[in-house]
Amino acid sequence: MANSMARSFLQVAATEEVASPLRVVQIEGLVILKIIKHCKEFSPALVTGQLLGLDVGSVLEVTNCFPFPIREEDEEIEADGANYQLEMMRCLREVNVDNNTVGWYQSTILGSYQTVELIETFMNYQENIRRCVCIIYDPSRSNQGVLALKALKLSDSFMELYRANNFTGEKLREKNLSWVDIFEEIPIQVSNSALISAFMTELESDTPVKQCDYDRLQLSTKPYMERNVEFLIECMDDLSMEQQKFQFYYRSLSRQQAQQQAWLQKRRTENMARKAAGEEPLPEEDPSNPIFKPIPEPSRLESFLVTNQIANYCNQINGVAGQNFNRLYLMKSLHDN
Amino acid sequence: MASKFWTQGGSDTEEEETDIEDEIENGGAGETAAAAAGSRYLQTNASDSDDSDGQKRVVRSAKDKRFEEMASTVDQMKNAMKINDWVSLQESFDKINKQLEKVMRVTESDRVPNLYIKCLVMLEDFLAEALANKEAKKKMSSSNHKALNAMKQKLKKNNKQYEELINKYRENPESEEEKFEDENEDEDEDESGSELEDPSQIAAESSDEDDEGEDMDDDDADGAWEKKLSKKEKLMDREFKKDPSEITWDTVNKKFKEVVAARGRKGTGKFEQVEQLTFLTKVAKTPAQKLEILFSVISAQFDVNPGLSGHMPINVWKKCVQNMLVILDILVQYPNIVVDDRVEPDENETQKGADYDGTIRVWGNLVAFLERIDNEFFKSLQCIDPHTREYVERLRDEPLFLVLAQNVQEYLERIGDLKSAAKVALRRVELVYYKPQEVYDAMRKLAELSEDGETDGDETKVEETRGTSAFVVTPELVSRKPTFPENSRALMDILVTLIYKSGDERTKARAMLCDIYHHALFDEFSIARDLLLMSHLQDNIQHMDVSTQILFNRAMAQVGLCAFRVGLIAEGHGCLSELYSGGRVKELLAQGVSQSRYHEKTPEQERLERRRQMPYHMHINLELLEAVHLICAMLLEVPNMAANSLDAKRNVISKTFRRLLEVSERQPFTGPPDNVRDHVMAATRALCKGDFQKAFDVINSLDVWKLLRNRESVLEMLKAKIKEEALRTYLFTYCSSYDTLGLDQLTKMFDLSDAQIHSIVSKMLVNDELHASWDQPTRCIIFHDVEYSRFQALAFQLTEKLSILAESNERAVEARFGGGGLDLPLRRRDNQEYAPGTAGGGGGRWPDLSYNQGRQGSSGRAAYTGGGRPLALGQASRDRSGQSRGTGGYSGRAGSGMRGSQMDASARMVSLNRGVRG
Repeated sequence: MANSMARSFLQVAATEEVASPLRVVQIEGLVILKIIKHCKEFSPALVTGQLLGLDVGSVLEVTNCFPFPIREEDEEIEADGANYQLEMMRCLREVNVDNNTVGWYQSTILGSYQTVELIETFMNYQENIRRCVCIIYDPSRSNQGVLALKALKLSDSFMELYRANNFTGEKLREKNLSWVDIFEEIPIQVSNSALISAFMTELESDTPVKQCDYDRLQLSTKPYMERNVEFLIECMDDLSMEQQKFQFYYRSLSRQQAQQQAWLQKRRTENMARKAAGEEPLPEEDPSNPIFKPIPEPSRLESFLVTNQIANYCNQINGVAGQNFNRLYLMKSLHDN
Repeated sequence: MASKFWTQGGSDTEEEETDIEDEIENGGAGETAAAAAGSRYLQTNASDSDDSDGQKRVVRSAKDKRFEEMASTVDQMKNAMKINDWVSLQESFDKINKQLEKVMRVTESDRVPNLYIKCLVMLEDFLAEALANKEAKKKMSSSNHKALNAMKQKLKKNNKQYEELINKYRENPESEEEKFEDENEDEDEDESGSELEDPSQIAAESSDEDDEGEDMDDDDADGAWEKKLSKKEKLMDREFKKDPSEITWDTVNKKFKEVVAARGRKGTGKFEQVEQLTFLTKVAKTPAQKLEILFSVISAQFDVNPGLSGHMPINVWKKCVQNMLVILDILVQYPNIVVDDRVEPDENETQKGADYDGTIRVWGNLVAFLERIDNEFFKSLQCIDPHTREYVERLRDEPLFLVLAQNVQEYLERIGDLKSAAKVALRRVELVYYKPQEVYDAMRKLAELSEDGETDGDETKVEETRGTSAFVVTPELVSRKPTFPENSRALMDILVTLIYKSGDERTKARAMLCDIYHHALFDEFSIARDLLLMSHLQDNIQHMDVSTQILFNRAMAQVGLCAFRVGLIAEGHGCLSELYSGGRVKELLAQGVSQSRYHEKTPEQERLERRRQMPYHMHINLELLEAVHLICAMLLEVPNMAANSLDAKRNVISKTFRRLLEVSERQPFTGPPDNVRDHVMAATRALCKGDFQKAFDVINSLDVWKLLRNRESVLEMLKAKIKEEALRTYLFTYCSSYDTLGLDQLTKMFDLSDAQIHSIVSKMLVNDELHASWDQPTRCIIFHDVEYSRFQALAFQLTEKLSILAESNERAVEARFGGGGLDLPLRRRDNQEYAPGTAGGGGGRWPDLSYNQGRQGSSGRAAYTGGGRPLALGQASRDRSGQSRGTGGYSGRAGSGMRGSQMDASARMVSLNRGVRG
């Protein structure tokens, strides 16, 4: 079941070409189920967990995972969390499970995961593990009858820029990096051992309709849409904020330039006078002058992330709206009959 | 008085042909006598009293009284001295100082009475005596001793001012004494006979000079006069006390150079210098020389002005104007003389006589002098207390200046210097633009009257000039009376056209603003608006100087008032709202200094601001302005509030009004309305309930309406508007309570005709403000109850956000392609508190306003359309989204909360991971 589901999702996801040597994330069915279970149980709250596995060539195999406990904001307990993680790893090694960290998973709501924090976490992981992924699971979307599972990694060019912490317009143009290129999505492959596959076939019921098919026919998608629009509005506000920052920057920049021009003009006339008087002209650059201090350009990272987020919401709305129309037509024809 | 003098003066010239000095004095006196006669006539005319003698008598008796008081104080002092009572002496001294002030005020001169000087000398002597007598000092009581010491200090300080006079008195106490007696006698017949001691002060008393001339007749007085002349004056006299034929161009020129060189030097009396130069003008040998000297006289007269903030003494100002007129006379008489300030003229240029053919260049700048005279006039009006007679008297001098300006302009036009002529024309425009027709007519009448008065002077002058044929005579070629067209519009049109043709940028802008103001004053709103919009003044007013910005504000205020008068409420509000947004109307219109609680002004700023103030007679009535602004705001805001009752914070038209309303609603009790604000607030409360009659009654009871010319029609218009807005408010407020509403019912309630109600309601339907429809057969409005789902509401909200985003994007693009787009405010639509054009524009100059700077750009553009902004498009959607906002708020919070917790989660993972690796 999970297999067929994953494929349908993959078909959507695989449209993006993966440039890195990391081609595929191969996940054990067991891991997926564990993730789904963990995320769904704590559904409104957001949870995270560790992914364990092996890095084999262009394939990253995820063979096991364990959840992190939910904690309150507290220093001591945080230390406990670290201990828990270490302890957990030790235990798993003892029972001879793969205990290489290959990434982490986290749940999200309506795909609102594109934050600076995520990127920071990624950078931290990537420092230690060359290949790592983040698997994002969206329980609310799964309610619609799809497997909302995504494997993400940061693109190399973005990481380079991020390390230099240089998100000026010039650099971005140089790198030809746009907002689409921050994250890379890696196709997910679900692999099961032959025994499990056999067992699953055995378990499969005779009826052609399954639970998730019923889910797909659910008509009340309004709350979902509403939430999406709400988030979208919020993003718009954020984007406006970013834009204001830029406007402010440009305004101060133009003011500074005007000041510089005025200063230069003054200096030039002064120099002319000095030349006429036979003195050494003064330099036309004065680094000590505060008006020549460059104004730092605001980072574009945030606006890129917000744009990503907006694209995400829009895709979701588009998808859901399209499906909804189908359902409504279906209902209509059923009704007519 | 003048005629008496004339008969004597005439006989003098006959008898003593050779006494040139005397003659000259007569000449000078004659001229001023003419002026004095004229001005005195003018005064009496103006004060509407036919009996000029009566007025004079009053003055004299007051003066006598003061002198008597002073004399009695002196007696007291003498008594105190006899018994060596320093305490009472000190008191008397203070008293006499106070009395001195009074006396000075009464005599309207700055000359100190002799009595006082005598008293000072007496005191000084006595003090020295007392100090010398140490034994007596020891014997004094402690209080007496203390008083003695205090006296010593005071006297020393006080006497410093009068040192010169005291010394003079000490030199020849006898003659002073004698003359003092004379004076007292003189005073009975002549109010100013006492004023012939100090030549340095003669200049200040133009009107009194004739009397001196009178005194010159008898040798005795002449001798006394001689004695008291200052050294310089003596020198001058010696030089020129010759036969007229002996005075050559060279001597005059030499003397002139000498006097001019002394200018600004320490110890050079300013009055003295003016006097010397005036004297020189009379002996000038060539017209050009006379001209040159006259220019110097005027410069010297400007120097008399004590400081930047003070104004020129009024009599000096008048003399100055007269001198300018004489200059023009010369220029008209000798067209070959050219006035120029660009080239340094030849040293001996002025030697060329009247018969010289070529052009003679004389240094000078007519326009600059004229502008300076105007500025001094303006300043004096600023300084004088507007509630005194003095102010009115000063205003009477306006035609005098207008004559001068008119003549200068004509001259400049004749010689083809149109640019300067435009400048002069602007000065004239600025004196006329703020006058409504009534005031203009009054001025015209005054000008005609004063002209009658002056004819006397003219005649005598001609008669007098005959005597001094040896020197340059300048007949009055230039007319001394202003000519005014029938109505002020005609005058404005002539002047403004000239300026538009040949003025420079600033002149044109100012003329345009005056023009706009004037049009607005005459209720021609559409013309004023078109001029304002076509000139694009709003766009670049912030780059102009502060005084032009003030003029702009004044014009805007006037346009706003005009819009209100003709019934364009939204436009009126658009013009006025920005003036009121900062609460600094007084400052923006330069009609008083407003104290800011948060911002202390430096004395420098305060002084600057005081210099910008408008004279009182040019003020726009602030109460009327406030009433109009608040009423406009009320008419717009009340239905608007009713329409958006669910979400009051959105879509605010007038922030000022909202704030006032909040304040008034917070009051536990509302008393009867007191000021303009209270009235409007009371009206607002009535209007909110749809009670138009009460609202109108409250507003009608305002006092300020009497300031309007067409009061009835304005109030009629206002009533109609109030009815209309009451209807709209009622419909907005109570539409949810009705399913249907009959047209007849509404007609009855609001006292409006069927057609009016029909049109108002239909307009609301079309604008999507009211969700209803007409049911024609039953003559009813059927209301539709429309509610939006949350999702729809959210969608509306989203579209709004998107439009904001798109707008700012557009601006960014605009900025990139070289528009000034970035200066626009961030949210132009919601932006009610844009900075007023001036205030913002002067950002650099008015430091406390600088925070407005970013917004100026729009203030211009948006300002005008403020009221009728193209809101209609966005309006409907905003209304709806407004309704659902309450619920939207919650979910927004929830969403962000979730995002926040997610961030926490990922942040935590980092530290965990470190733990692993570590």
